[in-house]
Amino acid sequence: MNETRKWILHRISGIILAPLYVWFYFSLISLSTKNYSEAIYFFKNPLFGILTIIVFFVGFFHAKISLNEIFEDYIHDEKIKNVVNLLALLLSIIIPLITIVLLLYKL
Amino acid sequence: MNDSKNPVSPHLQIYRWHISSLLSITHRISGVINLLALILIFFWLLGLSFSESNYELFLLIINGFFGKFILIGFTWSMSFHILSGIRHLVWDLGYGFEIKTANISGIIVIICSLVLTIIFWLFARGFI
Repeated sequence: MNETRKWILHRISGIILAPLYVWFYFSLISLSTKNYSEAIYFFKNPLFGILTIIVFFVGFFHAKISLNEIFEDYIHDEKIKNVVNLLALLLSIIIPLITIVLLLYKL
Repeated sequence: MNDSKNPVSPHLQIYRWHISSLLSITHRISGVINLLALILIFFWLLGLSFSESNYELFLLIINGFFGKFILIGFTWSMSFHILSGIRHLVWDLGYGFEIKTANISGIIVIICSLVLTIIFWLFARGFI
């Protein structure tokens, strides 16, 4: 992915995330006063489930680009930088995928 | 030439602090905190899908002093990162680079993030 496209996608993902995060945190804080079945009921709602999955996918995508940027500034050993960048990439793929499985099959 | 000992940018311990640099590094730190929060939420989802018995304990912790402290911290981190992100987007559009404007927008971001956190909690907890 070239740097210009990265830059643009970083901004777009941020714009998508801002309203989603407000909704997501609001819901989670409200849930923190409620019991188990109400929490399950929340994620069983198809719309909320899909929005949660989008938060995870776009969130980790946004985070992955940001982490690359931070590593670029603070890690000066090329080998270590490549390893942590790879870890960030794996994390940003695996966690959202597991989230889909959890929301679709487990909850 | 061996210049590996020279300070590299961004070198936090050497530069004099300004609102701009403070907000710049806080934007990064709050972003990393948001990522940690999302990872914790992931584990919370994992716990939610596998065991009902531990959920009561989780609720007890999260509604205790420490849990609330963390949650309010996460909320502030989220609102700060969003507001600061909007400030960055305005810069990306080419506005607000004058030193005075940048300082004022920085202060606005700090104050609004604190106010938003309070309002957010009052609403989400059902106090309003």
